[in-house]
Amino acid sequence: MTVDVIVAGRALWPVAIPLAGAALSMLVRRRQLLQRTVMEAAVVLMFFSAVSLLASLDPGQPAIMKFGGWGAPFGVTFVADQLSAALCTVAGMVALAVAVFARADIRARRRRAGFDPLFLAMLAAVNGAFLTGDIFNLYVWFELMLVTAIGLMTLDRRRAQIDGALRYAAMSMLGATFILIGIALLYGEAGTLDMADLSRTLAGHPPSVALSASAYLLLAGFALKAGLFPLFFWLPASYHTAPISVTAALAGLLTKVAFYACLRVFVVIFDLTGLPVVAGLPRLLALIAGATMLVSVIAAIAQADVRRLLAYHVMGQVAYLMMGLAIATIYGVAASIFYTMHTMLVQAGLFLCAGAMARANRGYNLAAAGGLMRDQPFFTALFAILALSISGVPPLSGFWAKFLVIDAALRGEGPWDAWLAVIALVTGILTLYSMSIVWTRGFWRTPDDERRSTRRIPGAMLLAIALLAASTIGIGLAVEPMARFSRESANQLQARAVTPIVEGVTR
Amino acid sequence: MISTLLAISLAGSIAAWPLSKLFGRHAGWGLASLPAGLFAGFVGLATTIEAGGRISDRSAWAPTLGIEWSLRLDGFALLFCLLVTGIGTLVVIYAGAYLAGDSLRNRARFFTLILLFMTSMLGAVLADDMIVMFVFWEATSILSFLLIGFDADSASARRSALMSLRVTAGGGLALLAAIIMIGSTLGTYSMTETIARAPEIAQSRWIQPILAGLMIGAFTKSAQFPFHFWLPNAMQAPTPASAYLHSATMVKLGVYLLARFEPVIGQVPGGRDVLIAVALATMLTGAVQALRAENFKSVLAYSTVASLGILMMLVALDGPVAGVATVGFILAHALYKATLFFCAGNVLHATGLSKLRLMGGLGRFLPVTAAAAALASLSMAGLPPFLGFISKEFLFEAQIQSSWNAVPVAVAVIVNAVIVGVAGVVTLRPFFMGRGKVREVKHREVPGLVAAPLILALLGLVISLDSDWISRSVLRPAVSSIYGRPVELKVALWHGVTPIVLLSAIVVGIGALIFTFWGPIHRRLSTQSALHRFDVEHAYDGMLRALDRVAVRAAARVHHGDLRGYIRVVIAGALGFAIWGILASGAVPRIDSGTGAMNAGAVVIALTGLAGAVAATRSQSLLAAMIAVGLSGLVTALLFMMNGAPDLALTQFAVESLMVVLLTVMLFIVPLRAPSTRTPPERRWDAILSAAFALVMLVVLLDMTAAAPRNDVSAFFGRESYVAAFGKNVVNVILVDFRGFDTLGETSVIALASIIAWSLLGPRNALEARMGIRSGKAAFVLAFMSPVFFWLLLVMSVIILLRGHNEIGGGFVGGLTAALAFAIVSLARGVERARERLRLHPLTLASGGLLLAIVSGMPGLLVNGDFLSHIWIDTQILGVSVKQGTTLLFDLGVYIAVLGTVLSFLFGLRREAAR
Amino acid sequence: MTTIYAIVAAGMFGCGLYMVLSRNLVRMILGLSLLTTAVNLVLFQTGRMRSGQPPLIAEGATTLGNSADPVPQALILTAIVIGFALTVVMAALALRAYRDHATLRSDEIHSALDLGDSAAERNDR
Repeated sequence: MTVDVIVAGRALWPVAIPLAGAALSMLVRRRQLLQRTVMEAAVVLMFFSAVSLLASLDPGQPAIMKFGGWGAPFGVTFVADQLSAALCTVAGMVALAVAVFARADIRARRRRAGFDPLFLAMLAAVNGAFLTGDIFNLYVWFELMLVTAIGLMTLDRRRAQIDGALRYAAMSMLGATFILIGIALLYGEAGTLDMADLSRTLAGHPPSVALSASAYLLLAGFALKAGLFPLFFWLPASYHTAPISVTAALAGLLTKVAFYACLRVFVVIFDLTGLPVVAGLPRLLALIAGATMLVSVIAAIAQADVRRLLAYHVMGQVAYLMMGLAIATIYGVAASIFYTMHTMLVQAGLFLCAGAMARANRGYNLAAAGGLMRDQPFFTALFAILALSISGVPPLSGFWAKFLVIDAALRGEGPWDAWLAVIALVTGILTLYSMSIVWTRGFWRTPDDERRSTRRIPGAMLLAIALLAASTIGIGLAVEPMARFSRESANQLQARAVTPIVEGVTR
Repeated sequence: MISTLLAISLAGSIAAWPLSKLFGRHAGWGLASLPAGLFAGFVGLATTIEAGGRISDRSAWAPTLGIEWSLRLDGFALLFCLLVTGIGTLVVIYAGAYLAGDSLRNRARFFTLILLFMTSMLGAVLADDMIVMFVFWEATSILSFLLIGFDADSASARRSALMSLRVTAGGGLALLAAIIMIGSTLGTYSMTETIARAPEIAQSRWIQPILAGLMIGAFTKSAQFPFHFWLPNAMQAPTPASAYLHSATMVKLGVYLLARFEPVIGQVPGGRDVLIAVALATMLTGAVQALRAENFKSVLAYSTVASLGILMMLVALDGPVAGVATVGFILAHALYKATLFFCAGNVLHATGLSKLRLMGGLGRFLPVTAAAAALASLSMAGLPPFLGFISKEFLFEAQIQSSWNAVPVAVAVIVNAVIVGVAGVVTLRPFFMGRGKVREVKHREVPGLVAAPLILALLGLVISLDSDWISRSVLRPAVSSIYGRPVELKVALWHGVTPIVLLSAIVVGIGALIFTFWGPIHRRLSTQSALHRFDVEHAYDGMLRALDRVAVRAAARVHHGDLRGYIRVVIAGALGFAIWGILASGAVPRIDSGTGAMNAGAVVIALTGLAGAVAATRSQSLLAAMIAVGLSGLVTALLFMMNGAPDLALTQFAVESLMVVLLTVMLFIVPLRAPSTRTPPERRWDAILSAAFALVMLVVLLDMTAAAPRNDVSAFFGRESYVAAFGKNVVNVILVDFRGFDTLGETSVIALASIIAWSLLGPRNALEARMGIRSGKAAFVLAFMSPVFFWLLLVMSVIILLRGHNEIGGGFVGGLTAALAFAIVSLARGVERARERLRLHPLTLASGGLLLAIVSGMPGLLVNGDFLSHIWIDTQILGVSVKQGTTLLFDLGVYIAVLGTVLSFLFGLRREAAR
Repeated sequence: MTTIYAIVAAGMFGCGLYMVLSRNLVRMILGLSLLTTAVNLVLFQTGRMRSGQPPLIAEGATTLGNSADPVPQALILTAIVIGFALTVVMAALALRAYRDHATLRSDEIHSALDLGDSAAERNDR
């Protein structure tokens, strides 16, 4: 009986567990130890539910959860195909790392301010966005992400946090507005909200003003939330103000979810290559991706604060994902998928490193940093791995991600693809450049005043970072499974093999 | 087999970290066993290679990407493997003695890095799959970076390390691009196959970028002009590293790569010319700079640059002898240059001096070093009977044989002459001339320091005297593996008086002159400001400064802090996207044929709403603006009401009134006067932008409404709502059943928002929490009537909740109404009263509500296997059959969550107002 | 009639954008809530306002007769409440910002801009 239920709800648990955990930990907020335990238990359970979901899937056979027993296109459904499940798993890893790191970083005051429920609810929203097969439902999860992110950013109630959160909230609400309008127009044209049904209904749809507007407003909304040019201003304005554990979670998860939404919407619903409605899309995407890469990575070089520096790299990396989509071939999409999983892990890891650096150096400012190689060899090695990975140095996961994107670009048909490849390479060099600055200032150089040695870094922090560093090495050495997986999921997406439309009712 | 060797090497280098701490002072001798063992291994394989065989070793790595783990050991690779492991052995021994003074941890770090470098170097020359090669190639760059910056406290060391990393890694990416292009043209990453299919690539449309990528990669690595400048700076590395990476092995990788691809380059018109040009430029630069340099090590470094130029030229030349010359020169140079670096290190170590000027008469203190230096220099000068002589013979022979004009020959003569001069300068001056310049040394020679240079120097002599084995089983296979087919070569010291010998004689003669007039030449050149100004290094620094300037400007553009500026771009961007999309799709707006009957009343109301919105934009007072916005909200509610959406109307009314209540609390605190914050032109632009967006929206809306709606989904709801979901209010049924999951998500949004209210507006600490809040004065009537209102609204809210499923109403509206009840109390009697009435903490309500909503979905999961599929039970109440289901629980959860959240905000804002 | 509603929705939308562009935080928030209302109107029109009848199944009937499209209404209900929540959150943030910086002008609030900007931080001390 119970086993049957667990299996029947396998597509639900990655969302239900953290959501229930959020409500629970909110309920017991006065007992902090209990609250933390609830959070950690929920995260672990969520991770394993995601893993088992991924393991239980056989290719091309998504797990379906029909809410209320109403099949698509009438009810809301979760469609856990391999891609969704894999992304839930990666998100689970990031969540684990952050939860471990939080033990050393999130103090009583922040827990009282509601870190645990907000964090869990955010995870629920992330997984919900990965799993859902209904576009309005997707919107709801985005709103939940927004609210929880605002809460997490302002845990300390610092002036800067309030300021940052305001800017973040204002622009994100605009983005949400664009998304909602896009969805409204979509419903107005197709009369349905189920993604698979939409893609079926729109197949061969003649070009229409409303539909194009819908597509591009959705793009605007998602591009904003993904931190892409020219809608990315909220990111450098707010990311560096949040508590570092939070920033790591945001950087690892939210922007990537936004890109995933693009993937679903533009590959599945608006068949990127086929539908005349989105004729101009690849060109626009290429422009967005190229501009974002250059602007953000160059701006990163000017930063003296590690958090700010990394925030710019968040945008630069998302641009690579968008580049894969802009190429609009099976290789491009596969590259994006691979890159997404890699960047979720590494980005979070780097921000956690920033937290550890700040702990050791009493601050995020590189000008005052130093001495880490002398005092913290293990942590130094961990940072080196992650920094090299984001710079695309072999044999780490970052190298393969860049390799796939560039390879796809050179195989692409579009005349601008080769230029994208060039920009990607230049961005790679500049990324290495800015990482090498962090390295020499923070790790090699001994602090200006010799007496001052760095403070000890708590084991929890090191453990969390080590988890992510290990994952990037692992992916790098055993690249084949993930490469094949990305290729397969890309094929599934392009074949629009998403929901089998469950007609009627199961009562 | 080869993989095993590589694996051993890797394991050994990682083990070096603990081991070197274990061995302590004698770590050098101990750890040397690893490279020595590998050397023996490769010697053992030599016989197979000599027989013309080639050992390859392949296994799958990433089939999906067409990448396989394939290594191959042929003659050329073997030559490098022997150099890398052989010299590696000596370097490790030497380093053990050289770093004796350093801390244990530093020594461990150095040994690990140097051995890791050896491993990646072996991998780079053994790899046949070019991606695999690239992996090791980049590894050598990174390790070189770490070794140059080994003395991390010295700013100049850090600078040089960064410089080398940026140059070589940048070139590496160009190489990667080339490799990927080859892969996508030929469909393989195997180097062997690529070379075999050289004509095919030469025809492809990518050939120019491919060659460019390969060459940039090679030039940066092998310090060719204009990328040469990183190499002299790399001398910041500890001397053993300089000897190993920056003269003997790593800097030859570029030569190695291009020598491999020589067949491809030969196929492309102009390919060789580029190489020759770059090579000549490099040779001359190296020669001139060598004459200008002050330090022992930099003189050696620049002469290395010159030698690398020579190698690059030999690669470019055609004809079999060129191959012979390349191989011979690689070997000879590795031997004598490494030796000289060791000697330089010894001098530095013993005297602490680095400037050649200050050295003299060191032969007295460092006899063995002096001897080694002498031997090496004779070889470097290319005098018989040393190896250098033979290699130089081949060099000139190759040039004369090649189909090339006289210029390279002339340059080669000059450069070689300079090298002769350098050989003299770095040996005779410090060791044998200028006695008495150095009075005493820190310490005498120790075996560890002299073994390496002596052995290498002697090798340079021994090999040329008995060149049989080496030429048979190393040189010939190497040559034939780059030349493509077996080559017959006879290494002999003397083939009588040929023009080549004459050339050598000329070279030595000029070299002698250069040596004699070194002083004046050196002074003349080093004061020559033109040379200084056109140094490429300045260009590099200039580029970095420019980059920083651009970066600062870009950052200021992206993060300037003016929220309006951000939002403006965001709106403009979205608008641009939409317009671009519509135009690109080539769609034309559809026009509604027959507009429905106009309803005058509705029109008036609608326009009132619009007027409200416009008024909001104009008003100078925030209060007025809020009221105007509220007005358009209420009008919207009316429009809903008039168009068959009473539920919406009800909710909208409730929301608007609550919004007014909450915002009013805020407006108590902030200044109401809000003069415009924008300059007139700013306002104008904003108006234009907004109007443009509104216009697009209008067109889009008209276009959408003109199309016939597809409503089979909503028709389904209409059909099934009562039959299958037992509810007559279809909207409510959709909310709690058909699309109940959306509602759950939305409820969580609400519930979580309450936490924000608490953390932002709640008490900062326990003390603040305890202190009560004075209730604001309220209108007498309100105060008097509030209990009535309270109970009235509360009862109403419950009714709304209960009948929601079949009539107008539902959880949201219910919750909002209940919240209104408490709002009135708190307005009238203050927050404390309201909280007494509530008893429960708002957050408890919010979370409890959310939990209830989630739980109400579980029975469905248990029974039907579908979350949120509701269970229904018939109950007889007073003989009336009442059908109730888990929907009620769900709706109740929503009700409670909404109530809790609104209250947490209400109380929070009131508390803030009272503070 | 649809034309009128379209005009109203688009108009409200434009006004909302104009207010969002203001540098006064409260005005910006009011603009956002106006935007929410406008979007709800847009959503409402996806149902084409085909009838004035509420989507209630008449007494005795088992299926819905001619009535307004219920789906957009459900979506709008969700949107309204979410919009309400977010607007209130924004209000709370603005209030905090006002308490911290004693101004409502977004261009006079730059503590986030200064954080991690070494020059600005030095000026603070």
